[in-house]
Amino acid sequence: MDANRPLFIPVILGTARMGRMSLHVARVVTQEAGKRAGVETEHIDITRLPLPTNDAGEAIKDTGYSAKIDRADALIIVSPEYNHGYSGLLKHVLDSCLKEYIHKAVGIVGVSTGPFGGARAIQNLLPVMRELGLVTIFWDVNFSNVQKVFDNEGKLLDEAFIGRTEKFLKELIWMARTLRHGREHIPLDESA
Amino acid sequence: MMTATPATKMICPNCHVEMNHHCDKLMQATDSPQSTHQDEAVGGVLEEFHSCPNCGRGGSRPASD
Repeated sequence: MDANRPLFIPVILGTARMGRMSLHVARVVTQEAGKRAGVETEHIDITRLPLPTNDAGEAIKDTGYSAKIDRADALIIVSPEYNHGYSGLLKHVLDSCLKEYIHKAVGIVGVSTGPFGGARAIQNLLPVMRELGLVTIFWDVNFSNVQKVFDNEGKLLDEAFIGRTEKFLKELIWMARTLRHGREHIPLDESA
Repeated sequence: MMTATPATKMICPNCHVEMNHHCDKLMQATDSPQSTHQDEAVGGVLEEFHSCPNCGRGGSRPASD
């Protein structure tokens, strides 16, 4: 039994908009996750996934994305808030898989140019996460006024976000470990 | 009446060990009804999910199999 194998926690960048500030956020979060002992991570940019738009759901599953989610123990979704919601392309990508998400942890990082840090996009994502079989944590990271948080080169200007991301990652890693143990060792029906 | 859990264990194709059946989920596909596995009592296809205790690989199958 290899219970000590590293956790795999990819970071999904959930926007295709040109000039997206969420890219800087995703880089910081990926960097911080990669510093954690026993964690492997990878940046998944949804614009790089070759999904058609003339169909939807598992019918358009991308084998590369599917394999990464299947391997994952938890996900981090970096989502900007557009018109109080998350991006349509993010939903399109998320819907392309289902069984790969079951009983895995997810944490959401919200991004906005306004004061609420993507809180409304996060709230809208929560029921989607639940139906996909993902288990949400109670920590979010909210990058509000994101245009002031990074410089033009994408350098983080406010180190407070590192501490907030640490808290978020601790909770996510705990949940990922717990759910991995549950998936692999705790039967649904104890009498089976 | 809910579909009974099959007695047979899924076997991990990587490790050849018994996988852990950790959940059932109701799949409400709108585009592919998978009529042979539709369970009228629950209103969709009940799918079982299993994970390998050795490598972590996941697997699934219709609960009525």
